[in-house]
Amino acid sequence: MSIHIFARAYCVASHCLLAAALLAPTAAVAQTDYFNTDRGRPLQTQDALAIERYALELQAAPLRWSRAAGPHVVWAVEPELAYGILPRTQLEIGLPFYFTDGFDAGSRGGIGAVHLSVMHVLNVETLGFPAMALEAGVAIPAGRFGASDLYTTLGAIATRTMAVGRVHVNAEFTQGNGIAATDRRWEESRSAGLEELSRWKAGVAVDRALPLRSMLLGAELVASRSMRDGADVDWNTAAGVRWQLAPQWAVDGGIGRSFGDSREWSLTVGAAWSFGLIHLIPLNR
Amino acid sequence: MNAFPGGRAAAAITLALTAALPAAAQWSTVSEQFYLPASHNWVFRAEHPAADRLFNAFDYGHAILYEELWARPRGPKEVLERDHYAFITRKLLVNPPRLPLEEAAIAPQYSRLAPEAKVMFEWAHLLHRQLYDILADNRLSESQRDEQVARVVAYYRSRPDLAFSARPKSMNLMEGQPYSLAFRKAYPKFNGLIWAYHWLQVGLYDALLAGSTPDERSALVNGAVARFRAMLIDPPRSMPYIMPMTAAVAPEFTRRYPDAAAIFDNLHSMHDVISDILATEDVPRSRKRAEILLAAQQYRDDTTEVLTREAWIGMAIGMGIENQGGPVVGSLAVPPTPTVELGAVMRHDASAVDPHAGHAMPMPATDSVTRLADSLTRAGSDQAAREPFVNALFRLLEDPAVLQRVVVDSSLRRVLLDLAPLMPPEHRGHYEAMLRPPPARPERRSTP
Repeated sequence: MSIHIFARAYCVASHCLLAAALLAPTAAVAQTDYFNTDRGRPLQTQDALAIERYALELQAAPLRWSRAAGPHVVWAVEPELAYGILPRTQLEIGLPFYFTDGFDAGSRGGIGAVHLSVMHVLNVETLGFPAMALEAGVAIPAGRFGASDLYTTLGAIATRTMAVGRVHVNAEFTQGNGIAATDRRWEESRSAGLEELSRWKAGVAVDRALPLRSMLLGAELVASRSMRDGADVDWNTAAGVRWQLAPQWAVDGGIGRSFGDSREWSLTVGAAWSFGLIHLIPLNR
Repeated sequence: MNAFPGGRAAAAITLALTAALPAAAQWSTVSEQFYLPASHNWVFRAEHPAADRLFNAFDYGHAILYEELWARPRGPKEVLERDHYAFITRKLLVNPPRLPLEEAAIAPQYSRLAPEAKVMFEWAHLLHRQLYDILADNRLSESQRDEQVARVVAYYRSRPDLAFSARPKSMNLMEGQPYSLAFRKAYPKFNGLIWAYHWLQVGLYDALLAGSTPDERSALVNGAVARFRAMLIDPPRSMPYIMPMTAAVAPEFTRRYPDAAAIFDNLHSMHDVISDILATEDVPRSRKRAEILLAAQQYRDDTTEVLTREAWIGMAIGMGIENQGGPVVGSLAVPPTPTVELGAVMRHDASAVDPHAGHAMPMPATDSVTRLADSLTRAGSDQAAREPFVNALFRLLEDPAVLQRVVVDSSLRRVLLDLAPLMPPEHRGHYEAMLRPPPARPERRSTP
């Protein structure tokens, strides 16, 4: 598959998500989205905040570039739509697209596993308790870059405000079959999708807001173990920024580094659009 | 399957995060909600960007105030009265933020003290902004405006756990509590700044309603903003002397949308209440969250310290618009001259209590009659505009003490009698009868 096919597929999917948003002529906005972090935007460790009830948030163009030691380069884009379906509860669906280069088969592109998840915030932060949330997700096999099995993930999130800023702790565990280290997919471009899976992952992040600039600076340290049987713990660190560009738009960017065997560098940039659909809000019409 | 070594570490970190917490820690599940999507969203921002940006700066003022009072309770007063005030008035209000601010980022400690109150304020501020959008939307007819306002207010009230009551509340709730007045006495300048914020926040509604064309609206909004800036020239003397009330500062808005007007008066009162709770030493720190939540509950319910609509309007007018920052429409060329002391307390009167609401309540004094008469005269020939003043006047005159004063004060009675032609024909006779002095009693002859 050439990069053109990849681009076309991504374009179609993006337009589908955008169309869902644009169908309604009545778009409004969440207030300060930059302060409510999302997984991967730009850090893997997120806060224990859900989007407001009835809000929709479209991660329109979250792009991630990574390059491991060696020739492998991976571009990933995962458009994602989140919806505040219940108080302190959000649903999310995402569909990743990958384009790889430097593997034996040359340039390849395609989609990975469909991600469905729900996050429920148990409580908001007070002087007595940190904010705490539970998250459950499922990765559904969909394209050549995804795993062939279904994987379910359960996670917990806590956020506590301290003098240094907000501290977030995330931990998650994935249920599903491990993938043998000898599986040939690890040597192919398809490994780009498999690398996204981890048996477990735990991270801690600190962020600090510049409120008058509507900007959030953050850094994290994440440990994870791959689904590859016998894999070592991989340590990653990253830093990033989220910035409220306009009432409806927040942008983000980040840089990451893996300390594992791959010695991978990664860059990410994205934009999130918040809006509402009057038809999703129960009113006494 | 591999074990999860990170789990123990995560548990340890989470435990550490919670271990240092005070014993009185409390669980909060307050939740936020998106605001009502509509075609008028963000119209005010587009049509009146200067005023819109000011409101972003106002968010900062409220947040930093609460943060300072809570986080540094024994800190020098100059931090707020001088340092923060200077930053806000010389920098922030001069070049306001272009986006709404995140209060939790400005006031991280206060936000954790009472997240319920924080979300209540945010929900009411969203209502503010949605109403500005509606009234600034030149595409809407008058009837469409009314319909949209009703829709947005209904949406706001669909969250009873967050919404301020649409029934007006007595000043006793704000000024008659053990902690009352603590903030305004200790921080008169910052308190005046907050009242100036509230003056503009409610006053802009009448500026938007008074304009019949986009240009007129812009001119009126700009005039209101200019008047607000003039309040900052000589603080606190140039600022409102008492809390601006919507019925006085925005009488037309109050007449058309009384529910929204009452909501905003309750919102602004609770801003003052929280300032007092945080500023007073009479409420120990361990009780402040509980007091804030109690006040929040009292401002949400429809029973505590409820006023009749007439009494509320009468009280607002009776307090004197000149003491509340002056009128927004037809702004004075020079700042009004207040007739009360800075931070004066409103007088209360149990006669204004809503008999259907229960609890005690406040009321205005007889000089309110004079001010009501003045407002009634200025309302012109518009029967609808006169109605709230007429109702308030009747309500006041039902008070025997007020009536007695009118009877013995011939000049006041003369003023009121001159208003008789402005009364609705069906009430005119009753009105004149109320003002008629009682027949003189025959003198008792002394018996030898």
